[in-house]
Amino acid sequence: MHPLLLTFLIFGIPLLIGLLYVFFAGSPPLRKYIATRVALTIPMILILATVVFLVMRIIPGDPIDSTLGPKGTPEIKERFAEQHGLNDPLYVQYGRFVGNVFTLDFGNSLVYAQRPIVDELGERLPATLEMVIPATMFGLGLGLFLGTRAGMKRKSAGDYGSRIFSVVIYAMPIFWLGLLFQLVFGVWLGWTPIAGRIDPEIPLDRTTNMLVVDSIISGNWAALRSSLEHLILPTLTLGLVLSGVFLRLTRINVIETNQEDYVTSARARGVKEGTVTRRYALKNAMIPVITLMGLQVAILLAGAVLTETVFSWPGMGRYLVDRILTRDFTAVQSVIVFFALFVAVIALAVDILYSVLDPRVKY
Amino acid sequence: MIKKIAFLLVAVALIAAACDSDSDDTTTTAGTAEETTTTAAQETTTTAAAEETTTTAAAPAGEAGTIIIGTTDTVSSLDSSDAYATRDWEVLKNFSEPLIKWEPGGADTLLPGLAEALPEISDDGLTYTLTLREGLKWGDGTDITNEVVASQLTRLLTISDTGPNQVGLTLGNPYVESIEASGESDVVFTLTQPLAFFSQVLAGGPYIPMHPDYFPEDELVIFPEPPIYGAGPYTVTEFVPGETMTFERNEFYHGDPPNADKIIVRHFADPQSMALAVQNGEIDIAWRILGSELALPLADVEGLNVAEIDAPATRYLVVNHVLEPTNDPNVQKAIASVVDRDEISDRIFGGAVTPLYSQVPPAFFGANEAFDEIYGSPDLDAARAFLEASGYSEDNKLVLPFWYPPEHYGATTADAMLIIAEQLEATGMIEVDLQAQEWSTYVGAATGGQEYPLFVLGWFLDFPDAENYTQPWIENGGQGSVVTSYEDNSITPGVNPELLVALDAQRGLTDPAEREAALDELQNIYAEEVVTVPLWVEPEFIVYRDGIAGDPNLPNPEALNIGASMEFIYSLLTDAG
Repeated sequence: MHPLLLTFLIFGIPLLIGLLYVFFAGSPPLRKYIATRVALTIPMILILATVVFLVMRIIPGDPIDSTLGPKGTPEIKERFAEQHGLNDPLYVQYGRFVGNVFTLDFGNSLVYAQRPIVDELGERLPATLEMVIPATMFGLGLGLFLGTRAGMKRKSAGDYGSRIFSVVIYAMPIFWLGLLFQLVFGVWLGWTPIAGRIDPEIPLDRTTNMLVVDSIISGNWAALRSSLEHLILPTLTLGLVLSGVFLRLTRINVIETNQEDYVTSARARGVKEGTVTRRYALKNAMIPVITLMGLQVAILLAGAVLTETVFSWPGMGRYLVDRILTRDFTAVQSVIVFFALFVAVIALAVDILYSVLDPRVKY
Repeated sequence: MIKKIAFLLVAVALIAAACDSDSDDTTTTAGTAEETTTTAAQETTTTAAAEETTTTAAAPAGEAGTIIIGTTDTVSSLDSSDAYATRDWEVLKNFSEPLIKWEPGGADTLLPGLAEALPEISDDGLTYTLTLREGLKWGDGTDITNEVVASQLTRLLTISDTGPNQVGLTLGNPYVESIEASGESDVVFTLTQPLAFFSQVLAGGPYIPMHPDYFPEDELVIFPEPPIYGAGPYTVTEFVPGETMTFERNEFYHGDPPNADKIIVRHFADPQSMALAVQNGEIDIAWRILGSELALPLADVEGLNVAEIDAPATRYLVVNHVLEPTNDPNVQKAIASVVDRDEISDRIFGGAVTPLYSQVPPAFFGANEAFDEIYGSPDLDAARAFLEASGYSEDNKLVLPFWYPPEHYGATTADAMLIIAEQLEATGMIEVDLQAQEWSTYVGAATGGQEYPLFVLGWFLDFPDAENYTQPWIENGGQGSVVTSYEDNSITPGVNPELLVALDAQRGLTDPAEREAALDELQNIYAEEVVTVPLWVEPEFIVYRDGIAGDPNLPNPEALNIGASMEFIYSLLTDAG
């Protein structure tokens, strides 16, 4: 089975089940809201696809020159354009592109060996998810923990320390932090690998292209260990940078929630401090954090390019940047449509989570 | 209730779909080998100098018999009728082999490859006949016949133009009219015109026959599924794009068996990470592309060795002969007189690049230093005299738009271009309008010849001969020099037509002394006409840990037998642990 389909099944099915559950179990207004949002996704993606299609053709540079380089003679360039339909009228190219989107075919890359885009996404997307998900979990966990503590003990040494940490870590260039970790943990201490996803000498059958998952599926524990070891530095780097922003957001929201009457009355009723923190302060402070988390995951799908570059992680971020630089029209268009789908799903999931976290939110 | 049942049914259906998955993918192997030598080829080129620095041992990267090579180069095609990049050719030459090949470590001696001897050349220089070795087999054990070799090589002439790189239109069709099998084991090449350098072309990547079962006669297969069988010392047994490529022994190889059982090439996105990886022993060799700023400090690391290779990567300015103001011969000569290559080398590269005074690099047969002899290095007074002759002065300055791509040739490009701009302005009569443009826009504008009067480009060889360092800019095939039009090869008004005559004259000369004289004349006219202004040659660096070695009996063992041909033959590598 194609890794892209498997990735959808692994991540999409739980999401879909959750969505269906909310849909069937939810109130009629919620159902209507979900149906409207899903229906709106189609024109949204079409508009985005059209904008990307036009922008790629308006900006200077083209895939012919960037592929063939200085060695491309006028005759060779003309053949290339003809073969790839780049001489066709714009509306013909657009029709072809939209047709590909609706058939989820996406066509072939223009610049890199003309490989099917779906195959390239099948290699890149699982790699990105494998890095982004643990990094976000780590960043979120650390940010929540430190942010809650800082918010609950305002103006303490811990609060000041956390605030300094959050500013420093967020301001630190991610490639510099990555290189620093490579040097310290990889070269000086020799604890972790420098780059890559797995020791190349360990054979592994790639089914999903998420190597941790593949290692577990095939019971290959050496591969599991190696893939986990290779995840440490990218996760640490990306997660630490993310934790800064989660920390600050959690802290300020916990402080604000702490000043609400219902928290004061809970304390007055003698509710234990731990319960006040978890059930009253933190839970209510979570809504903006969840919003940010949703946005961050969506951004990181294509935005972890620096982490991917430093750790030679063949993910979506590097892929998109490379293809924009080479003006690979079909690849860029397809990837952005794909992202739009992803972002739409995440945004919907976040909106639904609001109503779960805060009963006051009605649809 | 109905809602819940409906939900459950959908959920069960989705879970069932998820469970109905199967896996695919991966590996296989192959086995053993040899090699051969014979006489030296024609005249041509020279070798690569290799320097070295060492210390003690570092932890080996792989298990016994496995060597791991790091690279930042990407593979873009594995079909010889399409592949047109250094990295692609390196891969091709390790899992397959051309009929004749370069002696590893140099670029001045040709050896038989799949052929049993160097080509027999007809008196008129139009026919090259090669006889295949007996008993040749592909990596899967099937026989290699002369019919198969001829028909597979003919793909270069017939279907190369259907691929993304179209190498046949540059290195096939212009030189070769037909490739045919003759008798039991001969392969006959009929050329379009006598070419003194055709043997060098024949030893290149495009002339590697591919296995017909995996590379059909009428279709390019850019990334075949491994195992990829060829006639070389290794078989490609695994390929994960953007991550690794694995080579294992080909037991049917006609030559010496490779020393290492397995070679794994690991891709790095960032040269800095690759430098760190060779430092901590994750890889055994770091190869292409480590700049001098990353490679040279590694010489001080215990257990690592650094070797410099006189690579044929050049940088040069293109002076547009059609656009104003560079269509003025005096302006062209003034620019040629101003450039101080030593200053660029010292200030930007710490002396790590070699100043270039001809478009042909000094490591190649026939190279001279025409620009130094004609224009000095530099001569500001001469530059001012040229400018004055065209009416420019300190009050009436020449405004010169000068373009460069800030990212494509590395981070040092901007600094180097700034220095050239300073040098031009040091005449007091030129005001440089220095502008940067991102590569995908830049390359079209530059090579189209209609937008940039002065700009910088780089060149990496297709085959190691002076022809490959002159023809592309004289017969304007898209290099932006615009001294001749592409369609009819007619010379730009004002440019000496002798240029085309001189280019053509050296092509058919097989006598080394005669060709050297003809190349000298060609380079002199080239410099007089300022077709381009050569700047510098950039070396390549290879870093490897103690224990890794090349063949000590071949040239450049310190650089693991990589020479000016830039061929890296993995089968020569040994790992003493």
